[in-house]
Amino acid sequence: MTAPPRGTLTLESNDGRKIVVDRDVAERSVLIKHMMEDIGEQAEDQAIPIPNVNEAVLNKVLEWCAHHKADPQTTNDDDSDSRKKTTDIEEWDQKFMQVDQEMLFEIILASNYLDIKALLDVGCKTVANMIKGKSPEEIRKTFNIQNDFTPEEEDQIRRENEWAEE
Amino acid sequence: MSAFKRTTVTGGMQRQSILAPLRETRIISSKPVLPAEIISSILDHLPIQELLRFARVSKRMREMVYDDTRWVPRLQLMGCWNEIEARQRAEAARRKISETLQNLHQEEARRVGIGVNGAPNGPHGTEQPGRSSVTIFDAAAEGQVQAQVIGDTPKIAVIELDDGFDAMALTHREKAVSYQAPDATSKLKIFSQVHSLRGFAKQEYGKVYGALAPFYLNAVSCENHTYAIIFRTYRDPDQQAQMLFNLTRFSQSDISQGWQQRQKKLDALVAAFESAVTREFEQALEDGDIAGKMRKYAHVLVSLNGGQNGVELFISKAPIISSRYRLGNPLDCLSHTGPGKFSADESYNFFNRLSTAFNEQVIIIDQVFPSSVNAIVPFVQRVGKVVVAEYLTALFDEAHRTSIESYLKAVAVTCAQCLEFAKSLQPTSSSGDEFYEAVDKVIGSAFEPHIDLYLKEELDFFKKESSSEVSDWEKQLSEQDASMESMFMSNVNRQADKRDFLTSFKKVVMMPVNVLPTFPMSSPFGSKPATAKALVNGDTLPLPEPPSQSSTRPSSPGLIDATTSSARRDLSPLPEPPTTELAAKAAIMNSRLEGIRSLFSIEIALNLVHMAKSSIERAAIFVKLGGPFAKDARFQCELIFIALLQTLGTRHIKGGFDQAVDHLSNYDPNKTTNAERYTVTPLITFLELVNVGDLIQQMIDVFYGQEMVAAKLTDRDDFLNPAAKEKKRFEQMLDERVAAGLNKGIEVLLGEVEHVCATAQKAEDYNPEASSVASSDVMDIGPSEAAKQIVEMVSSHTKMLVGSTDKNMLDVFNQEVGMRLFAALCKHLKRQRISVTGSIKLISDMNHYFNYIQTLKNPSLLQFFKALRELSQIYLVDPSDAKELATIIADGDRFYGIFRAEEVYQFAERRADWYQIKNKVERAMYGIGCMIM
Repeated sequence: MTAPPRGTLTLESNDGRKIVVDRDVAERSVLIKHMMEDIGEQAEDQAIPIPNVNEAVLNKVLEWCAHHKADPQTTNDDDSDSRKKTTDIEEWDQKFMQVDQEMLFEIILASNYLDIKALLDVGCKTVANMIKGKSPEEIRKTFNIQNDFTPEEEDQIRRENEWAEE
Repeated sequence: MSAFKRTTVTGGMQRQSILAPLRETRIISSKPVLPAEIISSILDHLPIQELLRFARVSKRMREMVYDDTRWVPRLQLMGCWNEIEARQRAEAARRKISETLQNLHQEEARRVGIGVNGAPNGPHGTEQPGRSSVTIFDAAAEGQVQAQVIGDTPKIAVIELDDGFDAMALTHREKAVSYQAPDATSKLKIFSQVHSLRGFAKQEYGKVYGALAPFYLNAVSCENHTYAIIFRTYRDPDQQAQMLFNLTRFSQSDISQGWQQRQKKLDALVAAFESAVTREFEQALEDGDIAGKMRKYAHVLVSLNGGQNGVELFISKAPIISSRYRLGNPLDCLSHTGPGKFSADESYNFFNRLSTAFNEQVIIIDQVFPSSVNAIVPFVQRVGKVVVAEYLTALFDEAHRTSIESYLKAVAVTCAQCLEFAKSLQPTSSSGDEFYEAVDKVIGSAFEPHIDLYLKEELDFFKKESSSEVSDWEKQLSEQDASMESMFMSNVNRQADKRDFLTSFKKVVMMPVNVLPTFPMSSPFGSKPATAKALVNGDTLPLPEPPSQSSTRPSSPGLIDATTSSARRDLSPLPEPPTTELAAKAAIMNSRLEGIRSLFSIEIALNLVHMAKSSIERAAIFVKLGGPFAKDARFQCELIFIALLQTLGTRHIKGGFDQAVDHLSNYDPNKTTNAERYTVTPLITFLELVNVGDLIQQMIDVFYGQEMVAAKLTDRDDFLNPAAKEKKRFEQMLDERVAAGLNKGIEVLLGEVEHVCATAQKAEDYNPEASSVASSDVMDIGPSEAAKQIVEMVSSHTKMLVGSTDKNMLDVFNQEVGMRLFAALCKHLKRQRISVTGSIKLISDMNHYFNYIQTLKNPSLLQFFKALRELSQIYLVDPSDAKELATIIADGDRFYGIFRAEEVYQFAERRADWYQIKNKVERAMYGIGCMIM
């Protein structure tokens, strides 16, 4: 294969596809950024394996990164601020997230693995919006969670939290 | 189950090894599953209602949702989570657990019948009972802890006991709390019911949410403010305000999506409510309905958001601010009394009116606003800024423009009045020290822009005035014939006089400058110099000065100055008693010190001190303001003091001393034809000068002690302090001048002594046989005229120093005078020719000197004169006893080692019959001498 032009990186998804991407786009991922800092320039010549993510998801994630490459980098220090109030999802992100649930979860997992905090955040918000108004049973299905409550227990929890019902 | 497995392997290196089986599982279940941490962060974005529904999904989810970390931040956002309280409760609970644990261990040990330590894990008991006892203990201990916690918090206990809880619920630290809606009034106070309890954050939040969420959700969703449930539930505006305040606080904990819009909605609602209430309040304010509507709506505003708007509105509408020009016109203070004058009455009236108006407003504030609101501090700040500061600025600017003196007075007086004004203000019932601090700050800031200029002007003014005072005097002095007129110094009791004078001086200095208590303000010092001078001028005092003298002598500069200045600045016609006393004393002193008028004047010194005092007292007012002003003012006071010392010391006293020393050195006893030979005029003048110098120094010392140290303007012990240093330098300068002068003085005095010796000592005094006219029958035994004159002269001069210089100086001076006198006498003796009959006279002369020296109480000096007395006896020896004479001459012990034999021999040569006995004596001497050898 030919060497990629300067300033670009080659990423390899778990299904063996190689994707050439601008370095600053790829470095939205804190994982890749740190990796580049550790390895140095030689990394540009080799494909970086992203073993958790398949091509479709990786492309999707990189699409998001390309759109947001000009955003200010969020520092890791603002962990304390993560408890801060939720902001609304941008319009572009809303459109971006209009995918099926499986893809949405894959994006969330990929952004978690690649350590792209903002994308993870958008993903979580989208999921939160998704489950609004759903019954516990529907939620279980969404998240693939088994119900380990007896009906009495479940009812008790409901009674405990009656104050939150309208 | 397989799906769950996948969640456990989201990352990490072993991924590769598990990858293959994972791919296979994916075929079975295509749904990816999110790990718990991601679910947790999804939950962060859910609104409360959704969140709690999520808890019903599974046990793990319930745990996640119920976890304190999710609820404590919300409580913190509302400001009702107290970490310290939570920790204390948790620790109390833990202590209970460990106590229970120990008890149970002991019980168990007793039951099993073995030692405490080995019990739980010991090999003795079988596994089965051990385990079962542990389970029992768990439940029991937990139960007890729960009971304890409940005991600690009665409010929770009520709820929990209602529900009834079973052991199972306890082990999970969860309670089935069936929610009971609190009634409308208790919802207003919902925040006071929230406790910081670890493990119960959700329940605590639930209380608040249950009470407020319905209103909140309704308020942020309704279209028209008037239809919001909150206004329909609560009719009383005060309750509405409280509820809105609660909602604002509650909205802080709304962190799910869309909170911005909700916040905006709520803010708009609150703003609409507030403006409605404010309108009502304003209406009531205009109607003057203080106790009714104003009070009511003020309380509403306070419950809503602390009432800042109400306070602001109230202050801006307060009559004291809106009609401030009615309180007084600053220019009245200046215009009423003519140019250059400042009327303290006007400003006093202004502050009086202001104080009255202010206190009226304070009463209203007290009525209208609840005690929790600090309305008075902003009010006083506003009054200070708008009313006081404006008044002062206008006044000072005008005063500064017209006359510096009135400016200085205006600043100092108004500052003192301001402080008085501050004291007259009444705080509201709620505000304590805070109010006075605020008032002090306000006054400080009102004076801040003026203080630097003022202090500078004060110093300049003092410097200018004092130097003009001195130069006036100098000018007038030079206009006169600077001839040294002196009057004979009556042998007054100086020390007593001085003490007297200083006592009155002290009295006056100690008397405070009454800037405030007596209006119209006139500092006693404003009038005192004038009266002092007036008294000097007037004939009312029984002055020891003969009237002829004052008429013949060109009137001294002080007097001229007095006439003009007393007319110029006689402000108050009623001087205070101690003032007159001092004035009288000053007048007496002055008349006594006529002799040194032309050198320097104690009156000038007194004037300068007075000026310094009034300046310093004016500046010292600012020390009371505290803070940086106090430091500046203190520093400025020191500078004024230094300026005083410099003007007084360098310009006035030093010049006088130098002149006196000059006069002394120019003095030639042979040229004077003064009939009164007892006194050396310039020396007397000088000694008198020393006296006055000392007096002034003591005056300064008293001044320093009273004004600077006692008023805490300077630190006496701080030797680096410029004021203390300057004072030292002043004293040193005085000492130096005195020493130099005394040195000259001794020379002059001894010159005079020699002059007397040469002129007044008649040859026949000691050698009556030689005179042609002498007859042995008129021979008297007493000392000769010359000796009397010398003793008289020396003693009168040395006595003048007593009490004016310190003892050491005096001793040195006496010693020097004595030694020089001794040398002069020896020299004189060697010029005489003395017969045996004349020796009687000589001996009595010597006795006379000796007696005089005895009065000086100087033992070493006495030795010399004893020797001299012994020496005079060699003239008494009859010519026939030449041998005896030789013995005396050779006997060194006889003269205390002061005269050597050769010297005595020289004296012996002065015998009238020396040539007749010379051979005999010499033979006897050398013969004896040989024998000794």
